[in-house]
Amino acid sequence: MQQAIPYRNWLRVTAAADGPIGRTPPAVHAETSSVSGKSVKGMVSENAVIVFGKRGCCMSHVMKRLLLGLGVNPAVCEVDEADEVRVIDELSTVGGGKDHGRPQFPAVFIGGKLFGGLDRLMGAHISGDLIPVLKQAGALWL
Amino acid sequence: MSSPSTQFATSRRMGIYEPVHQISMWAEPFKADCSPNTGTSTIIEVDTKMDKSEDTSQGTIGSSKKYDQEANKPPDKVLRRLAQNREAARKSRLRKKAYVQQLESSRLKLTQLEQELERLRQQGVYIGGSFDTSHLGLSGTVNTGTDAFEMEYGHWVEEQSRQVNELRTALQAHVTDIDLRLLVDSGMNHYYDLFRMKATAAKADVFYLISGMWRTSAERFFLWIGGFRPSELLKVLTPQLDPLTEQQVVDVYNLQQSSQQAEDALSQGLLKLQQTLSETLASDTVVAGSYMSQMTTAMGKLEALVSFVNQADHLRQQTLLQMSRILTTRQAARGLLALGDYFQRLRALSSLWAARPCEPA
Repeated sequence: MQQAIPYRNWLRVTAAADGPIGRTPPAVHAETSSVSGKSVKGMVSENAVIVFGKRGCCMSHVMKRLLLGLGVNPAVCEVDEADEVRVIDELSTVGGGKDHGRPQFPAVFIGGKLFGGLDRLMGAHISGDLIPVLKQAGALWL
Repeated sequence: MSSPSTQFATSRRMGIYEPVHQISMWAEPFKADCSPNTGTSTIIEVDTKMDKSEDTSQGTIGSSKKYDQEANKPPDKVLRRLAQNREAARKSRLRKKAYVQQLESSRLKLTQLEQELERLRQQGVYIGGSFDTSHLGLSGTVNTGTDAFEMEYGHWVEEQSRQVNELRTALQAHVTDIDLRLLVDSGMNHYYDLFRMKATAAKADVFYLISGMWRTSAERFFLWIGGFRPSELLKVLTPQLDPLTEQQVVDVYNLQQSSQQAEDALSQGLLKLQQTLSETLASDTVVAGSYMSQMTTAMGKLEALVSFVNQADHLRQQTLLQMSRILTTRQAARGLLALGDYFQRLRALSSLWAARPCEPA
């Protein structure tokens, strides 16, 4: 059931992820991007899987590693403290599975919809529900 | 942790004339853990063994016969044992002396600190925390969060032993599935209780929880983020669940893999936390700003540690839940029994290890 991560994808993600900390690039990287001035909802709809987290947050790192381990290439968006409230407001308007109030960081969106936090991701992974959802969103191919 | 009567009993046997508050502290070989399961009782057991070995060699015969009986044994063995006893007693006295000296200097320091604190208070300096500036005896407990947890955990272990025995009896007696289901459900809930307890303790003192000091030494050897690795436990359990259907075999294997992946992700996250914390503390204060802001940032990072413990326990819970979905009631009962036995044996191993005779230096 383990998917080997295509070399090409792996290389791309690590290059983006190991970028210098604290620098806010004006252009949007393929994988890791920051939020300033960019439409958050746009990012959600453009990417099969996208993780939103506070800058430097270790939990969003856990989310990313878990998804990478499954062979998924998640987009990651790091949010500065200043933008937090605005981003969460925007994300609240996106539809989601277990919708109860405002999404909390870190949050993962799959197929344009809010999937949930790390709890939900882990739970779905263990119960075996995650892979079908990822496939349906086009994030995984068998 | 230990009843007063137990302490005095030990004192008498060891020939000490003043009560020692924390025996597990000054008895060096046993200082490894202060958990209620192995701490003081271990020492008592060792004493009993020493006494018993002398008793059994004589039976109920009076003391005059003692030398006759012992003369029949090879004399060099007796001599060696007596020498070892003398050596052990000497070492014991030395350790006690060192401990008392340490206590006295600590007490001195404590009085000095209290005076300093009082002085500062009078000067109007705000001192956070809950220090009792009246003269503390050594009995003041500073951290009631972890003490409460340790006590609760002690009860939890006892209850678990009881449940394990109940499961064993029920499986041997071939009770109905309905009755087994009840036992399985309470077994699962018991583990969920533990995770709840740990969540509360993590908020009180996450380092304490992560250190595993509340567990026995052999359990600590396997420690991963405040507990066991679910994938490892699955490997322990699975052989004891035979016979499994082909589908079950596949499902359990997949669960093991999934758990492994989740564990790896969490471990990676923890590594990142270590790195960022290290970087925060390593940065030069002159360049980066004030010492306080560096500390504040570091404190913020440490908060994440609580989340890690919670996520790890969440993973353990989810894995347990998934197993209960894969297995039949009877298999689940066997699984819980196997798990309980495994933990019990680890705890027993810890006790045995702590009580092993120390080689004379």
